[in-house]
Amino acid sequence: MTREGEARMGETRLLFRHIDEPGLASIETYRRLGGYRALPRAVHDLESQELLEALEASGLRGRGGAGFSMGKKGSFLPRGEMEKYVCCNADESEPGAFKDRELMQKNPHQLIEGCAIAALAVGAAYVFIFIRGEYWEVADVLDRAVAEAYEAGYLGADVLDTGNRVELVVHRGAGAYICGEETGLLDSLEGKRGNPRLKPPFPAIQGLYGGPTLINNVETLSNVPHIVRNGAEWYKRFGTEQSPGTKVVSVSGCVRRPGNYEVELGVPSREIIFDLAGGPAKGRRVKAWFPGGSSAPVLTEAELDLPYSFEAMAEAGSMLGSGSIIIADDTVSIPKLALRTARFYHHESCGKCTPCREGTNWTAKMLERVTRGEATPMDLDIIASVQEKIIGHCLCVLGDSMAMPVGSMVSKFRAEFEEEIRAAASSASRPGAAGGGRPGELDHSGFDSPLTAEVEAV
Amino acid sequence: MSAEKPQITLVIDGIEVEAEEGAMLVDAAKGGDIEIPVFCYEPKLGGPVGACRMCLVEIEGIPKLQTGCSTAVRDGMVVYTRTDRVIESQNAIVEFLLVNHPLDCPVCDKGGECPLQDISMGWGPGRSRFSEPKRHFQKPVALSPLVRIDRERCIMCYRCVRFSQDVAEDEQLQLLERGAQSFVGTFDERPYIAPFAGNIIDLCPVGALTSEAYRFRARPWDIEDSGSICTLCPSQCNVMFTVRDERVQRVFPRDNDDVDNGWLCDKGRFGFQMIASGERITEPTVSGAKVGWEAALDAAAERLRAAGERTAVIVGGQASNEEGYLAQRIARRALGSPHVGAVDELSPAPLHALSAPELGAAVADIDHADSILVVGVDPLHAMPVLDLRLRKAVRHGDTRLVVASDRPTALDGGAEVTARYEPGEAAELLEALERQLTRPPANPGTPGREAEDVPGIGSAGREAEEVPGGDSGAESIAGELRPGATVIVYGERVGRGTGGEAALHALAGCARALRCDADRAGLIGVPDGANGRGLREVGCLSGAGPGFEEAAAGRDLAEIRDGLRAGDVDALILVQADPVRDLPDGPAWAQALRQARAVIAISCFEDASTAAADIVLPAEMYAEKEGTLTHPDGRLQRLRPSVPRPGDVRPVWQALTELSARLDHETGIDSASEALEAIAAEVPFYAGVTADEIGGRGVRWQERQAAAACPPAAEARGERRAAAADSGRPENGSGGGALRLGTYRDLWAAEATERNPAIRFLAPAQRVELAPADGARLGLGDGDQVEVRSNGTSVRARVALHERIRPGAAFMIEGTATENANALAGAETVEIERIAPAPGAPGRSDRSDAEPAGS
Repeated sequence: MTREGEARMGETRLLFRHIDEPGLASIETYRRLGGYRALPRAVHDLESQELLEALEASGLRGRGGAGFSMGKKGSFLPRGEMEKYVCCNADESEPGAFKDRELMQKNPHQLIEGCAIAALAVGAAYVFIFIRGEYWEVADVLDRAVAEAYEAGYLGADVLDTGNRVELVVHRGAGAYICGEETGLLDSLEGKRGNPRLKPPFPAIQGLYGGPTLINNVETLSNVPHIVRNGAEWYKRFGTEQSPGTKVVSVSGCVRRPGNYEVELGVPSREIIFDLAGGPAKGRRVKAWFPGGSSAPVLTEAELDLPYSFEAMAEAGSMLGSGSIIIADDTVSIPKLALRTARFYHHESCGKCTPCREGTNWTAKMLERVTRGEATPMDLDIIASVQEKIIGHCLCVLGDSMAMPVGSMVSKFRAEFEEEIRAAASSASRPGAAGGGRPGELDHSGFDSPLTAEVEAV
Repeated sequence: MSAEKPQITLVIDGIEVEAEEGAMLVDAAKGGDIEIPVFCYEPKLGGPVGACRMCLVEIEGIPKLQTGCSTAVRDGMVVYTRTDRVIESQNAIVEFLLVNHPLDCPVCDKGGECPLQDISMGWGPGRSRFSEPKRHFQKPVALSPLVRIDRERCIMCYRCVRFSQDVAEDEQLQLLERGAQSFVGTFDERPYIAPFAGNIIDLCPVGALTSEAYRFRARPWDIEDSGSICTLCPSQCNVMFTVRDERVQRVFPRDNDDVDNGWLCDKGRFGFQMIASGERITEPTVSGAKVGWEAALDAAAERLRAAGERTAVIVGGQASNEEGYLAQRIARRALGSPHVGAVDELSPAPLHALSAPELGAAVADIDHADSILVVGVDPLHAMPVLDLRLRKAVRHGDTRLVVASDRPTALDGGAEVTARYEPGEAAELLEALERQLTRPPANPGTPGREAEDVPGIGSAGREAEEVPGGDSGAESIAGELRPGATVIVYGERVGRGTGGEAALHALAGCARALRCDADRAGLIGVPDGANGRGLREVGCLSGAGPGFEEAAAGRDLAEIRDGLRAGDVDALILVQADPVRDLPDGPAWAQALRQARAVIAISCFEDASTAAADIVLPAEMYAEKEGTLTHPDGRLQRLRPSVPRPGDVRPVWQALTELSARLDHETGIDSASEALEAIAAEVPFYAGVTADEIGGRGVRWQERQAAAACPPAAEARGERRAAAADSGRPENGSGGGALRLGTYRDLWAAEATERNPAIRFLAPAQRVELAPADGARLGLGDGDQVEVRSNGTSVRARVALHERIRPGAAFMIEGTATENANALAGAETVEIERIAPAPGAPGRSDRSDAEPAGS
């Protein structure tokens, strides 16, 4: 994230407008730079219905992955007096995503203001920010900012002396990818094992502690003050018709300037990857890229000119997801990338539903075999078929999150897999060649059960 | 009854299916004879979880496949369960499930009755493409002494974990680790010991959880299942006996939502081993000599004829209606004796009022009650399956539970209010509650006015932790109970002892005030004996014959005992009763039996009472019996013989009719069904009932036409105040060493625990439960060996300190095999003294200075 204070050419900074201003994390600086102007307007001048309408009219789509309209989601919550909740999903765990971290670490009040407005819009008195445990430094920043906001009267039993109650709690997760899944997050927040719930009922109807709950990503909620302050029409001037606004994109992998860049949705992907992030090292070419974190199906060099928007990515058979671009250049082995991806999801699968639990396990074992040279091309058919049998059959999207990228890698780079098998087989057959691990054994390091007996494969 | 839901029509695989609106698709499909395979779905466990993904189906208008277990049906829905897409998903899930399954069916106990086998055959691809190494665990390991777990077979359906967390609420079972490494276990690998733990064996859809008592005993193709009733407690759960080679090998629930919701406690589940025990009495004996039936019956008749009207009959709680009826008939009609009692002895007048058909609640009413009052009983011990039922009602959120008891109960955690009265003082609380409920709408000008009317109430030393007894406790209870339908579950024990009659009268008053005669409301009395209600209704009580018909008053149980000792009662017939163990003052009973001129015991096993008997006749066990029982909610249920009687055992009804004939009272009864006919003829509210009508599900007599013939109870309110007046209770023992003694019957303090090897480890040793404050005051710590004394008798016990016990009270277990607290019965206060004093701490119980507990 070595980026100069000023926006680069091609960046459009809304959430990142003052991101590198020293002291932005303090309430004084945030206020000096125009912060906490939207909340008073929301609490004094607007009815909750008007707030929701403004959010819906802005077309703001969820930045956590699914891209669902935030205003519409808010309107699903029942009206009337009852215990309702807002949860901010700050469990940013998708490999390749690190935008929420910077947003919270450098501009926590923008998020707090957004959370408070969202709470007013849906009539919730409690907001929880569920932040991944590894972000402990960020959580400290948030805690300080929340204390300042309470002190200043933006939060508490009587927000800005209007009688509205908005309490905000920062909750630190214990480190599980599945807790970023919205219902897994709710279970974890309630003190249970973080497993996804069956939907319906959707959280908007029956969420945290059984109450209607609005769950949104950090970036989504950070957009809210800007929309309330400047209006939906203003907001829609950014981005495309179906993907209004800007997007903070985390670019990582084989690029010269990895980091977070805020762009208008709809700019050519090539501009983000090459003009902002510097593209791959000299002489290297982009072989494959994930447009939306490691769970998005990979795209190829030929697709670099696609507009970076929800709709264009969907049309290309992938997804914008959380807006995290990972670049693999021509030095990267796709089979090893597939194995790395599969291992991550195999490790993070909660085990509740069958296809994800067994499918990620099976896939990881097969890909290990591929990289050891013990597979045949027929195994590639099985790998592809297993991915198809996972997709659409799971309780939540975690299984699909492995199956889609792995499936796309096998279908788009099949020749490379076949070559990998041949190469690994010939090197493994030479005496003394590095095989790594005993045959047929999956690397369980870090999550081995004490009860697992060491039994050799037959 | 909840309102009927409208019927709708949907189309599944082209077949029009009628279903209740909102039913889950997998259930609705059954109506069209279409099976949608499931693993994790089990409505007994609560809502669907959608974890196994086996039930994916295609629904028109929804792009993604949906889980049939969690999709509510709507009118006009069009569903496909056998399209290519659905078949592909079913094949996929089966293939995934078998990825880590060992496929060791030939050596698996579940083989042949395994849903995983069935679904793999019906919906699977028939082959696997998985060629990687499978997951391995140590196996099988003991999850508890009763259940083995094979984690490799587990398909992670969560049923067992959900049972532990959501049904039994013991929360011991957990899913540990994550993803493909997940496994079912407990914290720190502690054994899963809980009263209902065995249910997870039935719930498991694979062979991962197997019964220690059934492992490798039989194969599904060489067993037969036979339905009957478990008579080990008043729950009277509907069970199936798995029989192989004429022996019961297994017990599992025969789901009856009106009785048990399909659950069993571990006593009922594992209590079958004693049926084939070598310790059974199989031949009649006279003075210890095996003489055969004819000689034994002749000898019995001879002694009874000599005793004549100086004969008493005591019937045990497990006896059937037929056995109870014939036993009282021998006493009343063959011998002219009025001395008839059941082990559950209560005075007939108030009981009769509480048994009125309009006041009776059905077990199922608990599910829909607006409020439930549990008085003087811990269902977990007295009627275990009811505990699960009450938890379910509370869990669903619309039912307010109020608990009033002397000893803390397992249900306290879910109660809105817990009123804790002192041992034996239920009457005062109930009378205060009756006043609260019957007084005119609150008059703020005179708060507490009525408290002054009855001395003692409100001023007794009940420290308020939860809520004390007395008027303030009663007021809290009344506040929770008033609106809507109320079900009262009471322990019939509140009717025992001094003030017992007053307690029952007050309870009847409360029931009237709470409109327990309304729909969905009513009372359920929990007796000690499994068939306590039925035995009363067929005439096994003093002063009332079959159907509460007025009869000559006889001696109560204590008077029978004293009569035997004084020589006023000459002979005693025990019908599956063990007074030495089960009645107050066991040592006095043992003495009385020894002193009696003649004791004739009909029993399955030798026990302390048969040891003193002159003539012992063998009895059937419940799996061998034919007859009927009456559930505490009035449901007549049928016992059906599932295995043959061993040795020379004859049916008890037959022994009784033959004995009767020898006493010149020919009953004309030659079968159990004829005995039922005789009962139906004599008990007006059972009129016309037949075994066929009772059938496999039972029938509540209150819901039959004949219920109208139940004679109205006489208003006995005039006499009651006398009983309620000063009971001469001692002051609570907050000074000195004396503590108020309360006793209870522990779930496991039973013959069944000791006679079944599987559950023998659960037999409790005697303990005395004290409040930590009393422990500190008396210098007693957890686990200290003490002697509990009263009136010259003493019982050894270990101290158990419990936070939730009120200071001044001490609780002990009745019915333990040794150191039975019934030796102290009659005692209101006890002194406690340490047997082996801890170093430096004097063992005197009357120390006045405090000593830290748990040294």
